This record gives sequence, C-alpha cells and structure tokens, in this order.
Amino acid sequence: MYTLKPSFSKTLFLKSPLLRSSFKPQFFPYTTQISSPCSSTPLSFSITCKLKTSEDGKSSKSLAKKIVLSEGAPAVSEDGAGNGEAQPKPASKGGGGGGGFGGLVKRFPRKVLSRLSNLPLAIGEMFTVAALMALGTAIDQGEAPDYYFQKFPEDNPVLGFFTWRWVLTLGFDHMFSSPIFLGMLALLATSLMACTYTTQIPLVKVARRWNFLHSAEAIRKQEFSESLPKASVRDLGVVLMGAGYEVFLKGPSLYAFKGLAGRFAPIGVHLAMLLIMVGGTLSATGSFRGSVTVPQGLNFVMGDVLSPSGFLSTPTKAFDTEVHVNRFYMDYYDSGEVLQFHTDLSLFDLNGKEVMRKTISVNDPLRFDGITIYQTDWSFSALQIRKDDEGPFNLAMAPLKLNGDKKLFGTFLPVGDSDSPNVKGISMLARDLQSIVLYDKEGKFAGVRRPNSNLPIDIDGTRIVIEDAIGSSGLDLKTDPGVPIVYAGFGALMLTTCISYLSHTQIWALQDGTTVVIGGKTNRAKLEFPDEMNQLLDRVPELVESSLSKQSDAISG
Amino acid sequence: MIATFFCITGLLVTRWIYLGHFPLSDLYESLIFLSWSFSIIHIVPYLKKHKNHLSALTAPSAIFTQGFATSGLLTEIHQSEILVPALQSQWLMMHVSMMVLGYAALLCGSLLSVALLVITFRQDIKNYYKAQFIQQLDHWSYRVISLGFLFLTIGILSGTVWANEAWGSYWNWDPKKTWAFITWTIFAIYLHTRTNKNLQVENSAIVASMGFLIIFICYFGVNLLGIGLHSYGSFTFSSNL
Repeated sequence: MYTLKPSFSKTLFLKSPLLRSSFKPQFFPYTTQISSPCSSTPLSFSITCKLKTSEDGKSSKSLAKKIVLSEGAPAVSEDGAGNGEAQPKPASKGGGGGGGFGGLVKRFPRKVLSRLSNLPLAIGEMFTVAALMALGTAIDQGEAPDYYFQKFPEDNPVLGFFTWRWVLTLGFDHMFSSPIFLGMLALLATSLMACTYTTQIPLVKVARRWNFLHSAEAIRKQEFSESLPKASVRDLGVVLMGAGYEVFLKGPSLYAFKGLAGRFAPIGVHLAMLLIMVGGTLSATGSFRGSVTVPQGLNFVMGDVLSPSGFLSTPTKAFDTEVHVNRFYMDYYDSGEVLQFHTDLSLFDLNGKEVMRKTISVNDPLRFDGITIYQTDWSFSALQIRKDDEGPFNLAMAPLKLNGDKKLFGTFLPVGDSDSPNVKGISMLARDLQSIVLYDKEGKFAGVRRPNSNLPIDIDGTRIVIEDAIGSSGLDLKTDPGVPIVYAGFGALMLTTCISYLSHTQIWALQDGTTVVIGGKTNRAKLEFPDEMNQLLDRVPELVESSLSKQSDAISG
Repeated sequence: MIATFFCITGLLVTRWIYLGHFPLSDLYESLIFLSWSFSIIHIVPYLKKHKNHLSALTAPSAIFTQGFATSGLLTEIHQSEILVPALQSQWLMMHVSMMVLGYAALLCGSLLSVALLVITFRQDIKNYYKAQFIQQLDHWSYRVISLGFLFLTIGILSGTVWANEAWGSYWNWDPKKTWAFITWTIFAIYLHTRTNKNLQVENSAIVASMGFLIIFICYFGVNLLGIGLHSYGSFTFSSNL
C-alpha cells in the first residue's frame, strides 16, 4: 500500500508539465524517507562517494549522512513510519498557502495559484510582453499627441484600423510605463511566483529523494536499459563512482545519480528573476535622479539637482553636500577627435570642509555616501577673449544644431553699434575646446586660434586674443537603493543559468540472479547518454564461473 | 575549417594590436567576431565526433558572414575607427563578445529548428530515417540553443551593469536593448515549451524559427535605425557596383 502523499500534491504534480514524464505510479513503492535514528544493524555494503564537483556539495553531504544512517534503519518505508513525517509537510504547506481562515478562503487562493502557475498561461504572457515591447520600438515613444495624429491618421489608418485613438488610449506612446505593459509584467511576476511555489519547490523534495526500483520490468522501461549477464551490481557501483556518480546500494538494487544541481538550478533561475524584479521595483519607486551642466569653476548642491522618482524616495543627509567643479578638461586623439573628458570635483559638507576630491571621466564615476556622480556629457560655456587689449570679456557660447553626435558651438562679438537692427560682428565657432574658428563681418573665414596660444588675430581692424575656452561638465547624479538587490539578482541569474545547463542523470540497477539489469535516464544530454552509458558498462568486469555463485548468494541473502 | 579558424583569429589579433583596443567597436568588427564564433562552434563538436549535422550549418554561416563583412556593401567602415569615450571600458570586451557568441549559437540552433520544420513537412523521406533525423536535429538544436541562451543572458546582464556604471541607469528601453530582451524572452519561451512533452518537438521548433528572425532584427534591423545608445553599430549601405 502506498499513499505517500495526500491527493492535493499529487494533482499538483500531475498538472505540472515539468514532472509529467517522471511520475509513473510504480515510482513510489519504495521510497526511503530518512528520519529515524540509526540502529545498530549493520548492512553488508554501503557505498557513498563524494563528488569532485562542488555544486552537489550541500545536498550530497546531507544525503550522504542520511544514507549511512538509513542503511541500518529498519523497515523505513514498509510501514510508512518514516514517511509519517513526509506526509504532513506537503499537506501543511498546501494548507498554509491557502490562507489562514475558513475552508472557502483556503480553497480560493489555492485555485488561483494553480491557475496562475499554468505553463501555457505563462508562455502566453511572455509572448504578449515580447509583442508589446516590439510594438514599443516600432512606435516612436514620448512624442506630442500631434505627432501621432499625423502618423496614424483616422482617414488613412495603418494596417487598416490602427489610428491614433488606439495609440493614445492604450498608452502606446509611453509603452514602457503604460498600464497595459506594467500590468502584463505584474501578471508575469505573479505567475512566476505561483509557479515557483507550487511546482518547483515540491520538485526539490522529490528530486532529493532517491528511489530504488525493485523490479526488472520497471528498470527495463527506462529510456535507456541494458542487461549485463555475469556481472555484479557492486562492480557497477564502483565503476559509476569512478565516473563521478553518487551511488547508493541496498541489497541487490542500486541507485545512482549525477548532476543533481542541474535539477535545482531552474528554481534558482526563477528566484533570481524574482529578486531582479523586486530590486527593479525598488529602483523605480525609491531612487533619485538628476542631471546638471556646470561650467568650470561653479558649484551646486546635490539636493537641488536630485529629483525623486517615486513614492519611496527619501532624501539622505548626503543631499546637503556641495559639489564644486574645479576643472573640466578634455583629451584628444592625434586626429583631433575627442578621446575622453574629465572633471575634477571637490565635495564639501555643510561646514565647508572638503570631504572628497576626485577626477571623474566617462566610465569612471564618483561615489559618495550612496550617491554616484557620472560624467556623461560636456558643453562649451564661454569664451574668454580680449578685444583691442580691453577685457577680458566672457562671451557665452551657444550650442548650434547639428545631426548626430557632433557638437558645434558659436558666439558672436558685435562690432560697431550694437543697437542697430542689422548689427555686424565677428563670429566664432568651435567644435571642441581645442581650437576656435573665426569669421569676419562678411562671414568669410578669418582664421583659427587655439586658446592657449595667446596669438592675436586681426579681423577688420579689431585685434582679438583668445585667452581661454571655458567648458562645462555634464554630470548625472543618482542614488538608487535597489542596485545591490538587482546586482545580486543578476549574479544569481548568471550562475544559475550556467548550472542549469548540467544534465541530471539517474541510473537504476538490479541484480537478477547473475545478471544485472540497468536502466537510466537523463534530462538534458539525451543523445550522448547511450554512448556514455555504453562506455561505462564496458568497464564493468565480467565474472567468471566460480565466483558467480558466491556473489549471488551474498547479495540476495 | 580549422584553417579558417586560425585565419580569422589571426585577423582579430592583428587588428587588436594595431588598434590598441579590443576589436569590437563597430559593425565590421562585430561581423568578423560573429564568423569567428561560428567557426568555434563548428570546431568544438568536430573535435569530439567527426561527422556532425551542425557542421553543415556552421561552416556556410561562417563563410557567408565573413563574405558579407568583407564585401563591397560595407566599404565605408573597413577603416578602423577610434573609440568614443563611452566605449573605453573593460566591459566592452565581455559584453559584446558574450552577445556575439550568444547570437552565433542561437542562430545555429534556430537554423537547425528551421531545418527540422522543413524535414517534418517533406513527404518524400522515409519514415524511420526521418524520425531519427528529426530527433537528432531536435536534440542538437536544444543543446546549442541552451548554450546560446546562457551566453545571451550573460551578455545582456553585463551590458546592463556596464550601463549602470557608465550612465547610472541600467535599463532605458533603448531599441537594441529592448530587442535583445525580446530575443531572450522568445528563447525562454522555447525552453519552456520543451518541458511539456505534448508540445515538445514541433512547437518548440516553430518558436525557435521565430527566434531566428528576431535575432536578425535585433542585430541588423535596429542598427539601421541608427538611433539610441547603440548607434555605434549603425551603417548605411554603400555600393560600388
């Protein structure tokens, strides 16, 4: 008789597609649940081995101890005594998951849970999310409604029906923060949680339980099966141990597995994704962000620049810090292109004491007390010139519009009467802080000067000396409490995805007279498995007549 | 193919030394890297077992990609470009190389799935060989796609962390990034459909074939738009025909 589990979890198992293939009724007749303390009956043979790889470390260690104990434990499964402990656990877990009060209330969340953890639903959700994202890249985001009136006009709809009404009501113009998209993501997250809870965690319990198969037919029904005449199951055990399997031998039957981590890793993947989602939510609701362009020599207070992103954002003491841009400078390639831009920053606290000083550049930010300052951009603030030995004058440089990433700045020095409507003057253009190009009143090219050279230039009778080019630094500030969580999630995701590539292989064997019947299955490396098994089985020694009868007596007795 | 592998390796190393930075900063270099990855994927099973279905895919892919890169279509960008400040980081090596390796593996796997679908729907092949061939294709495509998925995950995550270090925000719905996420999602769907025995073979092959198109869009299509943070990869077709 066996009713190892209450019907609740049984239905769950059958529902979950992950386990569909591995659950046949005859799987359960002999489940050794280890809970009773060891008794002193020694058994003839008990093989355990430590795997060389470390991923199995945790589970194998605990299992190994339990194995030694259980070899002595009498009647572990027959009377269900040892299983008594197993039973309440899944039941209570299921019951507990159902809520605290009332039968109906208990059942409702369970139903919701089981619906949510349905795999095709999850697949459908993933498809929808992917389609929405694709749509979000096809439709230009964040434009004014006018843009959509033009692009998706009502009298000539795209694809026959897609007008601007669709776009604006469904929120497709801000797809990635629209209710539909976020709702879909939330649904996916709940599915993920439900699936992890209902199918993956019980999977851990089941996979950790090692089962012996006691009939030759059951073994032959496995994906891969072989019989070795004139062999001993103990020799097989030794060969398997040498190949890195963890082997358990009880009487004439043997169970070995390898790569158990490959079974658990998908759970880790799902948990890591949940962690990332939590961290992402925290970032979205609890962080501060700000952007500022500061000319060289000026300063700002952090708190003035940072703005909250959500309702969980709370400012810290560090917000009172004053940031001073000591110097902004750029490095150039020999060809004249920009190589890198740097800003020398000093941080002062409320008392005016300098608490930090660092030169930052792109990909090298400043971190102070949870706030990070990134170098993201640069600009041209002003040109310092002397005109006819008067000055110095600071002419503000304005950015001129260009295509792509190239920048162009310009300024204008009026010559003559600056109140007349048609004022003429000297124009100065610059692409970077290196060299300034000057044009005369007619717009004709006059010359190029470098700010450090102090060489004068005569244009239309005016003598100009370019003294300095003052740049301004584009800084982005950010504080984000969710980052450590998200990083932890990323690391876990990478690791668990790696591990889930491993294949979980299980092998059963039974000594049937002088023949050993072997069956095995694996969950990933299916094609290579028969070859690998054949190689292993070739190494099992064939027993010669005289020792055969002794062997079979010893084992079956 | 081994000779091809060494040639491409030599090309990449030479370019690295000459440029002073890792040769992965624009589309031309990433295409060379892609064909290099194809040749690696070709060689690994080749060293284990000589006859292999995968080689029928990887060898032509490598040659085709290399040919496309060197062809007249993209002459403007053959010259080695200098790195803009945003690209001067150690992360460049890890992120882009992982992404390209992932793309190569996923492309192989999804091509195998396309082949699987083609074979399923052909009437003129006998039953037994057909079934066996389909099973082998299915298995190989599963393994290669799993590997590619792993690389893609690492690539996306390293790119995200890099973005956080450089600009302070690890996700910003940039088209290329979004499409990489879409690719990841599609292949996650593929892996999940495989867990269900009923849907297993054909449906997963359909999903993987969609994945092929999506990778194409992600890698090339987005670059044609020329906008967003990944605009280093953009190019225009110029012909000197």
